[in-house]
Amino acid sequence: MSLEGTATVTSAPRGTARANLADTSGSLRRLLGQRWLRDLGLKVSGVLVVLLALEACSRTGLLSRDWFPPITDTYVELFKLAAGQPLWTEIGRTLSGWGLGIALATVLAVPCGILLGSNATAYRMTRVVIEFCRPVPSVALIPLAVLVYGVGLEMKVFLIVFVTFWPILLQVIYGVQDVDPVVRDTARSYGLPAHARFLRVTLPSAAPYIATGLRIASAIALVLAVTAELVVGAPGLGQSIVVAQSNANLPRMYALIIVTGLVGWVINLAFQAIERRLLKWHPSQRQEVAQ
Amino acid sequence: MLEVSHLRKVYGPDPSAAPAVADLDFTVGDQEFVCILGSSGCGKTTMLRCLSGLIPFTAGEITLRGKPVTGPPEDMAFVFQDYSRSLLPWMTVRRNIAFPLRYKGVERNDARRATEEALEAVGLADRGDRYPWQLSGGMQQRVAIARALAYRPRILLMDEPFASVDAQTRSGLEDLLLRVKERYGITVLFVTHDIDEAIYLGDRVLVLRPPATVGHAVTVDLPRPRDQVLTKQEPEFARLRGELFAAIDGGSVAA
Amino acid sequence: MNRRVLGFLLELALPVAVLVGYGVWASRAQSFYFPPLDEIGRYFGELWLFDRVGSDLVPSLTRMSAGYLASVLVGVSVGLLLGMSRVLRTAAEPVVEFLRALPAPALIPFSLLLFGSGDSSKIFVIVLGAVWPILLNTIDGVRGVDSQQLDMARAYRIPLAARIWRIILPAAGPRIFAGMRTSLAIAIILMVVSEMVASSNGLGYFVLEQQRSFAIPEMWTGIILLGVLGYVLNWLFLRVERRVLAWHFGLKGLAGPATGRTRSAGRSPFGKRRASPSPTPAHSSASSDGEV
Repeated sequence: MSLEGTATVTSAPRGTARANLADTSGSLRRLLGQRWLRDLGLKVSGVLVVLLALEACSRTGLLSRDWFPPITDTYVELFKLAAGQPLWTEIGRTLSGWGLGIALATVLAVPCGILLGSNATAYRMTRVVIEFCRPVPSVALIPLAVLVYGVGLEMKVFLIVFVTFWPILLQVIYGVQDVDPVVRDTARSYGLPAHARFLRVTLPSAAPYIATGLRIASAIALVLAVTAELVVGAPGLGQSIVVAQSNANLPRMYALIIVTGLVGWVINLAFQAIERRLLKWHPSQRQEVAQ
Repeated sequence: MLEVSHLRKVYGPDPSAAPAVADLDFTVGDQEFVCILGSSGCGKTTMLRCLSGLIPFTAGEITLRGKPVTGPPEDMAFVFQDYSRSLLPWMTVRRNIAFPLRYKGVERNDARRATEEALEAVGLADRGDRYPWQLSGGMQQRVAIARALAYRPRILLMDEPFASVDAQTRSGLEDLLLRVKERYGITVLFVTHDIDEAIYLGDRVLVLRPPATVGHAVTVDLPRPRDQVLTKQEPEFARLRGELFAAIDGGSVAA
Repeated sequence: MNRRVLGFLLELALPVAVLVGYGVWASRAQSFYFPPLDEIGRYFGELWLFDRVGSDLVPSLTRMSAGYLASVLVGVSVGLLLGMSRVLRTAAEPVVEFLRALPAPALIPFSLLLFGSGDSSKIFVIVLGAVWPILLNTIDGVRGVDSQQLDMARAYRIPLAARIWRIILPAAGPRIFAGMRTSLAIAIILMVVSEMVASSNGLGYFVLEQQRSFAIPEMWTGIILLGVLGYVLNWLFLRVERRVLAWHFGLKGLAGPATGRTRSAGRSPFGKRRASPSPTPAHSSASSDGEV
């Protein structure tokens, strides 16, 4: 009951805010619409200016055409690539290492984080190790990973797991430690059993933190996947960039770099959306809706 | 000194929308202490921001010593309500006070002297090397006043400067303000929602009614120097309080 | 007192156990990939005291600092510009979001074409990766400057340059530093990666080269040195941050930079600002881009 109560209380202000928004007159909505349109125009022109500048630099020879073909050539190549099978295979290879790595890291880090977050002694015992392992530059382990696992998918997954484990772990620890003590005490005073407290109180409160950890981890994982492919030649987008470069097929190289950026961008967007969903109840979100 | 005529301010692009300030007229004489009294939401803050040149107004005219106000004037200083947000937490008290002087073209030595004098005037001579956040709320507001004094303005605008300090500190600050006003010989325009404060401090009290028009004006005929106990015991004080209370109340009913 | 000693021992117990456990296991198992500690220690002394310091460590550190400094300069100045102008910010948003999402190592081939295999190509890659957290946090910090402080500055007729140097930059300082901390880690990573591709010296080159010639203990010394380097640089950074932002920690009543939750909502700073009146978010929630 108490938990249901908090849920309705937190969602109430949002409901009213939305109702108020619906009530506002048409003129306000028109104003907002115009602003939205103007912003879109600005964004499109921002992109166009950059693209045109690059095109101009290449056409006028400001940037040598030997290593910087006109951006239109790159886009032609990009569309050719998108129509064919191989590009998607490469994306799939990169993303499979990325996905497996994150999934494994999550499976490992979330239980560890819950344990360390809810047990002060365990947290103190591991603090020094965590603090030491966290700032270690992950990529230093690439040679080791190659030795132990070769250049295939396993190597990529190992690296990604090792590196993304830490941010997820830390976020989970903070999330569990940050459960509102009043809510926790309320749950206890209503006699909720331990597993119900965990499922109904600790996990929902920590969920947004975990989502933030995942978003951070997803970005790092992609960097690592591409790095592993680029440096040691594991199959995937990074490797095909190197191949395109050594074949002197520059439009293709640039097209692949753009594809890599787009993959990163889409991943980022997806995780931001998940995070925002999970954060809906959080005060920082509520303030914005109430605005 | 300061003349405001037919001031009108409308927010937003639509000039026919409800005005925040509508047709405001008043003048402040040289070295006069004028209090503007109004309940919250009657356009006090908007009016002050127009007077100080921080925001443009829609219509009317503001002149300071004969010159029209189009931007922040040179011989005007401003004390904000929320001292914790107008002092800069990364500067010591002394540097906070000296900060505007540098850009006013005051020479280094003169600036130092003015800073020390202002610190001494507000009774914080020994706190110059502290940071604002190491001081109490009342002291922080004294720093803000010292900054205004060191700037050597002809006119001082104050936006409910004592609204967020406790009552004890407040009466101390009121007396301090009266003393430094005499000492520096400046004109003060003081906005408040507190009737007693307005009568105690002012030579004249103007009651503002939404949307920021002068609804009532009284001249405070109480002897100076004023005293927290004696002045407030005068029958004239009680009479003025009753008159102003009725004026504000009538305004809110009319609104 | 006794409790504190006990707590201290508790914190040290696990690291010691891990080290001892590894030492015992490695000397028994005779694994090729995981040499015993004393062997690694011996090689470490031989290689890094101070034989290869000049040939590998110094070039690495030089590239990293150059790249990092350039990232700070570019990130803060562009961030200021975008933070202060809504039009520019909106126009730049898609480009910035794309470049930020692009994994910087993917640009190594491009950088090699552009600059050849010298130092500048590595510095370029470091900047392309490390500039974003600083840029985004600066934008956020500039947008979060208290409006009353800006009003105060205008009322006292403080010129624009002084407003930027004395008010906007210090006010955005905590956020800028949070971004700089994230960027430091990225700069180290990209230093290593860029040295692993087309390089003839540096720590990244050293580690990869030892692995390729199956000199395993030597490779381990490189990995350990990189770990120590990351740790030390992070520690140094926190000390500098505490000095520069002493006012901030005093104001918030914090003992030092807390490592807390990164950025509450994961929103890009281009979005709408929160209605919250607090000018600077609690330091712990400061980084705009997580800790890549």
